[in-house]
Amino acid sequence: MRPKLFLLFIMILLIGLCTGALPAHAAKIRVVTTLTDLADFARAVGGNLVEVNSLATGVEDTHGVPMKPSFVPMMNRADLLILVGFECEHAFLPALIEASKNPRIQRDREGYVDASKGITPLGAPTSTDHSAGDVHPYGDPHYMLDPVLAKTAVQNIYKAFATFAPQYEAEFTRNRDAYLARLDAKIAEWEKEAKPLKGKKFVSYHEHWPYFAARFGMDYFGTIELRPGIDPTARHIEELIASMKVEHVPIVVREPQFPEKVPKRIAEQTRAKLIILPIMPGGVPNTETYIKMMDYIVQTMVTAAEGRK
Amino acid sequence: MKVMITLILLLILSSGAFAQTMEDRLNTLEQTLKKQEQTIQQLKVLQETLQKQEQAIEEQRKLIEELKAAAKQPQPAAPPAAAEIKQPAATEQMQQQVQELKEKVDQVVEAQKKVVPSVFNPAIGFVGETIFSYNSKNSQQTGSSQPGGFSVLQRSVELNAAASVDPFARGYVVINATVDPTTGEANAGVEEAAIVTTSLPWNLTVKGGRFFGEFGRLSYIHDHELPFVNRPLVLDQYVGGESKTDGVQVNYLLPISHYVSLTAGAGTQFGDTPNSVGDFRSASNLNYWGRASTYFDLTPNISFEPGLSGMWNPNTLSLGGPQIQPNGNIFNSSVFNERQRRMVGADITFAYRPLRNNQFKSLTWGTEVLYSNNRYDVLSPDGALSTQTVPSYGLYSYLAYKLSREWTVGTMFEWVENLYNNEARTSAYSGWVTWAVSHWNQLRLQYTHTNNNAATGLQPNDAVYLQWAWIIGSHAHGWQER
Repeated sequence: MRPKLFLLFIMILLIGLCTGALPAHAAKIRVVTTLTDLADFARAVGGNLVEVNSLATGVEDTHGVPMKPSFVPMMNRADLLILVGFECEHAFLPALIEASKNPRIQRDREGYVDASKGITPLGAPTSTDHSAGDVHPYGDPHYMLDPVLAKTAVQNIYKAFATFAPQYEAEFTRNRDAYLARLDAKIAEWEKEAKPLKGKKFVSYHEHWPYFAARFGMDYFGTIELRPGIDPTARHIEELIASMKVEHVPIVVREPQFPEKVPKRIAEQTRAKLIILPIMPGGVPNTETYIKMMDYIVQTMVTAAEGRK
Repeated sequence: MKVMITLILLLILSSGAFAQTMEDRLNTLEQTLKKQEQTIQQLKVLQETLQKQEQAIEEQRKLIEELKAAAKQPQPAAPPAAAEIKQPAATEQMQQQVQELKEKVDQVVEAQKKVVPSVFNPAIGFVGETIFSYNSKNSQQTGSSQPGGFSVLQRSVELNAAASVDPFARGYVVINATVDPTTGEANAGVEEAAIVTTSLPWNLTVKGGRFFGEFGRLSYIHDHELPFVNRPLVLDQYVGGESKTDGVQVNYLLPISHYVSLTAGAGTQFGDTPNSVGDFRSASNLNYWGRASTYFDLTPNISFEPGLSGMWNPNTLSLGGPQIQPNGNIFNSSVFNERQRRMVGADITFAYRPLRNNQFKSLTWGTEVLYSNNRYDVLSPDGALSTQTVPSYGLYSYLAYKLSREWTVGTMFEWVENLYNNEARTSAYSGWVTWAVSHWNQLRLQYTHTNNNAATGLQPNDAVYLQWAWIIGSHAHGWQER
């Protein structure tokens, strides 16, 4: 009996040693993103290897995500924190990072992933004086609304994952390539679909759309806000209406986190089409992923530009 | 036979291991091959670009030759209109791209020039706060340091600076000047100057220096950041204004999935009035405080944040002033000394902040209840020395409703028993409207009616305040402003 048991033991030991040579299934990489588009990219690149949580749910203003203490334990355990960059999250992220007490994700540490690396911003101000409103000192941070620039964010996320867990680089590469191939196909589709937008003028509540406008050849006429973060005065509204009438601006964009009253009034008085566009996935129903969100934005803009309902 | 079976098994398993090792090698080779394919692809793209550039250069060379040949030919007699030279489309496009690139590079270089001179400066901001007020009673009747009638008080002239000290800590300074209401002179002082760790292990943060200790919910908020004009009576009287201390504070985040924060600190003072030092300060002369807080998302839009706080100074000497005993006797400061300071508090904050438009709508209800049970040495008129404790309660409760990004309205009820004489009671009702012209410019109009009972020796008072607060420079959104 004993020799058989000894044999069995040797077999189990050998099997154990051999399986030691197989890649072990590690615990998932804990990723926290500030906004939902980054979360979508992180899931696409990370696949089953990552557990992703987003601070925003998609309906918030990107500058007004609340500083909830319930975010703190999640950030405390995070391996990587992915942010949009260009100080987009300055109103809530610095205090949350400090409250998290996680040395890995402090600014410029190995777990602090700025998705904007390599992107040249539009609208970098020459002055940060408050007379210009709540300006972003490093330029407009809403580059994610340009799907070509969003690819850079995907690449930055991929690099962060591959650096953190090089043993899974091959899988991250496959996932990234597959997602970028899908995104490239959709970009070609959007560029074709968005041809009617070329030269079309529009206004929006907040300055979210310069990258989108540049990509699809639209003329970003102005904003309802007097300045970034400053509500419109009566005079500004009247001047905007007058200039929109002169220039025949056909589209008014309201981002869903802003009130309806003033955009509706401007659209009525200028006979422009009022449309509601999300600025991140989940901002309106059926836009849970980045691709679905861009599908919705392009389709809605084109429909408005062509005067269709 | 058994040996044979063992050897065969070993061979099979080893081949399995060998196969596994081979599989690893194949995987590695496959990865290397993929990388090389990518590199080749990149080189091909580069090669195509170079070929295009070579083609453009060749076209330019041909154009130059044509122009040279044209220059050698006799010119026509009549001066013609300038001949249009058609450039190849590719050259025009390349020139445009070069020009755009040059403009971008110039912008970056210019931006760099602007940053260089101030590259080591901390983030600096300045806060100004003026209170215009009218009180229906004079200062003797209200017990206030402010005169009755019309008053303009420059309550805060505050300079803030903050920066990273190194990869492990940040530092910040708040220098504040307040105008003395009697002399009109502005007295500047260091309100806060502290270093805070950012990279400690075990979920710890340590703060040291001069700062506002974490007690309750509003004690460590600066005056201009309060949701109303004046600090609640109970905080003014029991804490001594802001919870200013010179000391050290440790905060610990429980390593669980639910937010629970624990804070403990020790310092040489707590509140605006410094401790009387004497010849020697022992551990019992220090102030100790602590707070435990947690947070619940009742729904995505509704939150509940409760906290418990405590403060203890085992052996203190108050600077005092004339005190009224519960029995109505009046003593001078030298014979009515605060021997021990003890205080506990409970605070709750309910907030409705819809995620979709929290910058335009919110409703906040905040309440704090404090219990003070200080111990005093009392010398009675007949010369007997005794120790008495005076249990006193105080509370405030406010409701603030944000109607839009600019407008907020609110109301507050306050009630406090005097620290030294718990039969002397004051209550107050306030209502206000706040107009945030912008994030850095805010006006608040507040009406407060104060009731004092007979034991206080004070009169009821009606007051109107107009607060104007503004910020220039850098302004960070601190954790306490959540």
